[in-house]
Amino acid sequence: MAVPDLFIVLCSGEHEKLQMAAMMASVAAVSERPVHFFVSMNAVFAFDGTAPAEARYKGGAFSQLIREKGAPDAIDLLRQGKMLGDLEVHVCSMALDVAGWDEERLVEDLFDGALGLTKFLSDAEGGQLIVL
Amino acid sequence: MGKRTKIDARGAFCPGPLMELIAGLKLIEVGDEIEVWSSDTGSAKDIPEWVAKVGHEMAGVEHCEGYDSIVVRKAK
Repeated sequence: MAVPDLFIVLCSGEHEKLQMAAMMASVAAVSERPVHFFVSMNAVFAFDGTAPAEARYKGGAFSQLIREKGAPDAIDLLRQGKMLGDLEVHVCSMALDVAGWDEERLVEDLFDGALGLTKFLSDAEGGQLIVL
Repeated sequence: MGKRTKIDARGAFCPGPLMELIAGLKLIEVGDEIEVWSSDTGSAKDIPEWVAKVGHEMAGVEHCEGYDSIVVRKAK
């Protein structure tokens, strides 16, 4: 039986949720499961290409531990998922509009373009949807 | 018997050792092996699970002092 595609919507700007979303996306993608990753709301700020990681990631006690212990960087994990597996990453076009950003503002070598929620949800029919 | 390549991923956190293994598998021939050293306590279960899912072969898991040695044979 074919495994349904995994659709992940990341809205939260919390570092811990970004980390978990990136771990799930990358591991699923390298496990021969297509993954579609959609970034919206506060999560967009974590992908600001003009800011260093320490300024982009906002979190609590576990975020601190992730940095101190040198756990894999969330954006690097997503890039690995794209390189080694079947992972698409899209940014929410509405979030870009509201933030007043264009796609060039986002971190490099990660995004496959901007997408509307309607298209993403349509694609997600029949798949497994996770919202963080 | 195929060649064996060693990846020392000790100190890397999940899913780092798995990602290093997958990147390494892309560089070797079918029948060759990769031995991953991982201090991440989940790797000894996660890596065999991934190997079974995608169709490679486990060649062994050994618990060493402070790390696990996990050997994977490329099958496709």
